[in-house]
Amino acid sequence: MSDAYGDHETHEETAGSGIVDNDNVLRRVGEVLSSSFALLVLAMLAWIVTTQVNPELLQTIFPRFVEAYLLVIQIVVVSSILSVFLGVFVGLGRISNSPITNRIASGYVEFFRGTPLLFQLFLIYLGIPRLWATGTFPLTNWEVPAAIIGLTLNHGAYVGEAVRGGIGAVPDGQMEAARSLGMSRVMGMRKVVLPQAWRNALAAIGNDQIILVKDTSLLTVIAVPEIMSVFRNVNSTTLDAWTPLLWVALFYLAITVPMSKLVQYLESRADWGGERH
Amino acid sequence: MGFDVDIAKAVFDEELGMDHEFKETSFDGIIGSLNNGNFRVIMSAMTINDTRAQKVDFSDPYFTAYQTVIVLKDGGISSKEDLKGVNVGVQKGTTGEGAAGKLKDEFGGDLTIKHYDQITGAFNALLTNQVQAVINDNTVNAKFANEKDNVVFLQGEGAAADAGQNAPPYLTLTVENYGIAFRQDDDDFRTKVNGALANIKDNGRYDEIYGSYFEG
Repeated sequence: MSDAYGDHETHEETAGSGIVDNDNVLRRVGEVLSSSFALLVLAMLAWIVTTQVNPELLQTIFPRFVEAYLLVIQIVVVSSILSVFLGVFVGLGRISNSPITNRIASGYVEFFRGTPLLFQLFLIYLGIPRLWATGTFPLTNWEVPAAIIGLTLNHGAYVGEAVRGGIGAVPDGQMEAARSLGMSRVMGMRKVVLPQAWRNALAAIGNDQIILVKDTSLLTVIAVPEIMSVFRNVNSTTLDAWTPLLWVALFYLAITVPMSKLVQYLESRADWGGERH
Repeated sequence: MGFDVDIAKAVFDEELGMDHEFKETSFDGIIGSLNNGNFRVIMSAMTINDTRAQKVDFSDPYFTAYQTVIVLKDGGISSKEDLKGVNVGVQKGTTGEGAAGKLKDEFGGDLTIKHYDQITGAFNALLTNQVQAVINDNTVNAKFANEKDNVVFLQGEGAAADAGQNAPPYLTLTVENYGIAFRQDDDDFRTKVNGALANIKDNGRYDEIYGSYFEG
């Protein structure tokens, strides 16, 4: 390598790091890049909506998506509440001193986190009714209970892990302090550790509950008339892809965006409490 | 189904001397896949209808099918009227789904349709009391009814009798003709395939294959 080449390289590097070092320039570059990305996406969206979307069909299929949306919300609300409730018990089981409770809770998590939700849904929807003789299974609209059971058991495992992590992140000194004040282990857990663990686990639980919403799309395979089912039905009868796809995106976001706002709100409330202490 | 495979063999291998290969694909996106060029023709018990004919071209019919209803033998359903208010199972994207939709309109909405990814899902639902009837092509329904002692065709006169055809003994909701689907710019190939279909109908090869599946 010649000296001249070396000098040249050094020169360029200094200039380059000079620009990168300048906060203001970097900030502008970031703004230009992100704005052009946003513009590109908006332009594409505008182009798709104007050329690919059939406004008439958009209107006629709207009520069907609303129906599916309401069903999904009902399934999500029930499974969400049940899975958080279950997850608290699973998380407590995972930190239990008893080897029996501990192993059972671990086995539960390994199974429901270690097998696909799709498999679990088939297991519940197809497997369980087969334990009865042909045509004698007592519940005739089994797909909705099966969906709620599947989503609850699956997400109970993830929430359980989040709760366990949340408890693990509370310093040992908190429990020791509670014990030294004369509290029992259970009382210390309830009054001192769990409130702090909840705050630690909130982000992970919120994240998981948003995934639960998206997991309802799998319910199409067990004949639940949810949002993806409506899409597939419209698509196969009209052969139009973009019109129903637009509704699919909007209806899922209409559930997940408010949910993520709610999680943000709960988190900010928890942080605020934290700073006051 | 096996009948499609054997007719394809007779048409493409024996008549036209062409190699062919079957690709497994899900039925509800099959026309898009054809037009994307993932395969050259669709031969998958596809019923010829106007909606599809806007996107693809069809060969002459190579088979006639009926939409039929199967029920459990002791399930308490013995006529078309008994279907009012019950759950029926269909496969997504099929003409059985369409026939069920028409039946629902006929009953003034008093019918619950459950849409399954595969017909086996609907059959399974019949056995587990999730649906009280399955609406599907007669050939596929017949195969399942033959396998299961407690599954039978719903009896009655229907579309086939109305159309003045030599009607089967069971209730027929619709009459459909199956065709091979081509991309719309594939006319030369379609003409050749139509010729080959006419040949196997003339020389007895078609009857031979038909007999091995649907009679005896």
